Amino acid sequence: MTDITASTPDRLLSVRELFGIDSDLRVPAFAERSEHVPDIDSVYRFQPDVTLAILAGFMRDRRVMVQGLHGTGKSTHIEQIAARLNWPCVRVNLDGHISRLDLVGKDAVVLRDGQQVTEFQEGIVPWALQRPVALIFDEYDAGRPDVMFVIQRILERDGQFTLMDQNRVLRPHAFFRLFATANTVGLGNLNGLYHGAQRLNHAQIDRWNIVASLDYLAAAEELAIVQARVPALADEAGTKLVRSMVAVADLTRKGFAAGDLSTLMSPRTVITWAENVEIFKDVALAFRLSFVNKCDEAERPLVAEYFQRCFDLELKESHRLAVS
Amino acid sequence: MSDTQQRIRQQQRVTELCAGMVRAVSGEGNLHFRGPRLHRGQEPLPWFAPHLHPSADSDDFGSFRGVADGLGLRLARSNAALHATLTPEDPTERFIFEMLEQFRVEALAPDAMPGMTRNLRHRHIQWSLDFHHSGMTDTARGLLIYAVAQICRARVTGQQVVEETEDMLEATRFGLSPLIGHALAGLRRDRADQTAYAAHARDIAHTVAGLLADAGDEGDAERNGKQADARRALFSLLADMDAEVGEAFTAAQAGRSQLLDSASGAYRIFTTAYDSVHDAATLARKEVLASHRERIDRRIADQGVNVARLARQLRALLSEPARDGWDGGQEDGHIDGRRLAQLVASPTERRLFRQERQSSVADCAVTFLIDCSGSMKAHAESVAMVVDVFARALEQAGVTSEVLGYTTGAWNGGRARREWQRAGRPSHPGRLNERCHIVFKGAETPWRRARQAMGALLKADLFREGIDGEAVEWACARLLAREESRKLLLVVSDGSPMDSATELANDAHYLEHHLRDVVARHEQGGRVQIGGIGVGLDLSPYYRCSQIVDIADSTGNTVFAELTGLIARLRR
Repeated sequence: MTDITASTPDRLLSVRELFGIDSDLRVPAFAERSEHVPDIDSVYRFQPDVTLAILAGFMRDRRVMVQGLHGTGKSTHIEQIAARLNWPCVRVNLDGHISRLDLVGKDAVVLRDGQQVTEFQEGIVPWALQRPVALIFDEYDAGRPDVMFVIQRILERDGQFTLMDQNRVLRPHAFFRLFATANTVGLGNLNGLYHGAQRLNHAQIDRWNIVASLDYLAAAEELAIVQARVPALADEAGTKLVRSMVAVADLTRKGFAAGDLSTLMSPRTVITWAENVEIFKDVALAFRLSFVNKCDEAERPLVAEYFQRCFDLELKESHRLAVS
Repeated sequence: MSDTQQRIRQQQRVTELCAGMVRAVSGEGNLHFRGPRLHRGQEPLPWFAPHLHPSADSDDFGSFRGVADGLGLRLARSNAALHATLTPEDPTERFIFEMLEQFRVEALAPDAMPGMTRNLRHRHIQWSLDFHHSGMTDTARGLLIYAVAQICRARVTGQQVVEETEDMLEATRFGLSPLIGHALAGLRRDRADQTAYAAHARDIAHTVAGLLADAGDEGDAERNGKQADARRALFSLLADMDAEVGEAFTAAQAGRSQLLDSASGAYRIFTTAYDSVHDAATLARKEVLASHRERIDRRIADQGVNVARLARQLRALLSEPARDGWDGGQEDGHIDGRRLAQLVASPTERRLFRQERQSSVADCAVTFLIDCSGSMKAHAESVAMVVDVFARALEQAGVTSEVLGYTTGAWNGGRARREWQRAGRPSHPGRLNERCHIVFKGAETPWRRARQAMGALLKADLFREGIDGEAVEWACARLLAREESRKLLLVVSDGSPMDSATELANDAHYLEHHLRDVVARHEQGGRVQIGGIGVGLDLSPYYRCSQIVDIADSTGNTVFAELTGLIARLRR
């Protein structure tokens, strides 16, 4: 592994050119792509507000948390920005079993000159802290709140990090950046959708400088994303089809908000559906396989109604067919 | 199951689907149907337009779909406050203006939803043909209204007029076009702009109202039987709107009590001196209870219900995962400090870890409140069977349950009424009977110990009159005193509250109105979730969440599946 510790961003790029957002901002970027820089997804579409929030994180060293429902592409959003800035980026998936030792480091037995010796191995936090790396805590709200206090200090901008096991104090690298993504805003699993989400400590939430909310997109945006992913649907007939698909997704989201459905269609579901349409050449069948079968049985007639509105076709689950 | 009940159930399902659709299209969560009327929270919504009121008997499912879409669009695309400021004063003008506004939002159905456009069109055609075939187009006024509806909708939405009646419209259309032609052109152009559209719509409404007034004068000359009928029908159409279009519900609104309205909902009770709460086991002799219990047991056996399965379903519905201590002796997980000594003693032993245990805990209390009014006597055995099975299944699922009942201590007011008569019959005495509440099974009593007491449900002289509002209040108060975090109240009833003495001394809907108030208050409070179980009757006028069951001659698990469905809906 080449050492990236010494590298610093050495040029400024225009936000307007890079992300197509109407802004005069210029962001620092690295000249070289190193090992940890994510791959660029050329069809990725950036949402202006969230992009600016994340860019503020990169430019001004703000701690940014991106919150949103599943399938909205929170982590990918940060990754794709990092990819375009050539900024090394490390994603850590938090779960209930990540412990303090995993994050900070632990004594491990290693072989040295044929001898077994115990040596302190740095965890991901001290490692990233000393390098120009964007550290992303994915599913931040799945981490146990007591464990998350480990990062309390480094959430502050000049916060130093004390390795107690080693009596060392680490000073963060000038281009170390910290991001997090979460489904909830630290209030726990309120609507039953995110099982395993923890309630977070508000002293900690408070330390995040920017909380960006990534909601589901406007219909036109979502249409463009789906078509970028499934180019076969980019023609005129495809546009009509995808618009109806996005309309169904929108109805399920509103139905979810009203409490009629216990699942909803994320943009990811719509893309999967579009891909399945390509495979099965049958929009109703693909819909059943990608979404209807995930729904509770009692909710399927309602989903069939949504489908009828947008496609003028009856699903097998439709109430009309059940009656006749 | 009888045909009627089947139909009622179908209708309920259609209504639920429609309500779901209206919520999804409008994006408002607190919309639901009570009876045929759409409500937002506790408030009924305005009447909107004539074609948004389908009849369950004659209109098909497609029509209901169209109505749901129309209502959803109306709420989503029309600004109600703005609409109110633009609406003309004159009732006839208002009628036409409302209709035109509805056409506007229907024309705004998104292109991405071809099915919605079809449903709206389907409903329009069906409404038009109904209107035509009912003979209303035979009168000059009817024909004029019909023609205006047809021409305007065709223009705004850019769709054809209904083919069947196209020829009939020619003459009227020809007469109208110089009068409203200019405004008509504006309708289509400004359909996305509510204010600009309203200016044209007001023009049309004003012109047409003038024509209608003239046509009415001519009509008087040629009065014959059929035409008079049609005119009456037309008149009632306008009157319908008039009664309901404004949100003033003072006198005419059925099911409201003027007394309660004027006292701003302050429910009165004449005397509580004779009210009582009984433990069911004390209501009959032991032998009687035992023989009743035997009857219930036989009925349960005949029913062939799978209690264990029901318990599993209820557990899945009502319980939530919770942390529940630790499992020791695991091969991975957190290190168990107490086992470290063991590591020293036997280094090969790897089971040093412990893991957190998750278990499902049903932190929930369910109360069944049984209406023991006279008409329920016929259903007593079935109700006892269902409630008993549920109590047993809930207990197996670890859910606290209560079984309560309510009736009155006497017919016709009993001692309370006699006291009122002695006091010189003061007006508006309030509730006038001996309220009687019965506890069949308390929350702390296990099902096994409450078995005999359940037999009291079959005691025929128990069933008298019903004061539902106070009973719901009582059951809620009992639930609120429990420490479980979720509280469900299921009211089993076959009709509206009935107490003849109270109704005579106050006014007709006194108890009904109170019940509705009590339920609404608790629904809004949100601490107790209330569901109505209608024994062969639709309880949706009182309870926001209700289920019709056919309790008498169903065997097997149908009725239980329906009730677990109701609980699932309450959960949301």
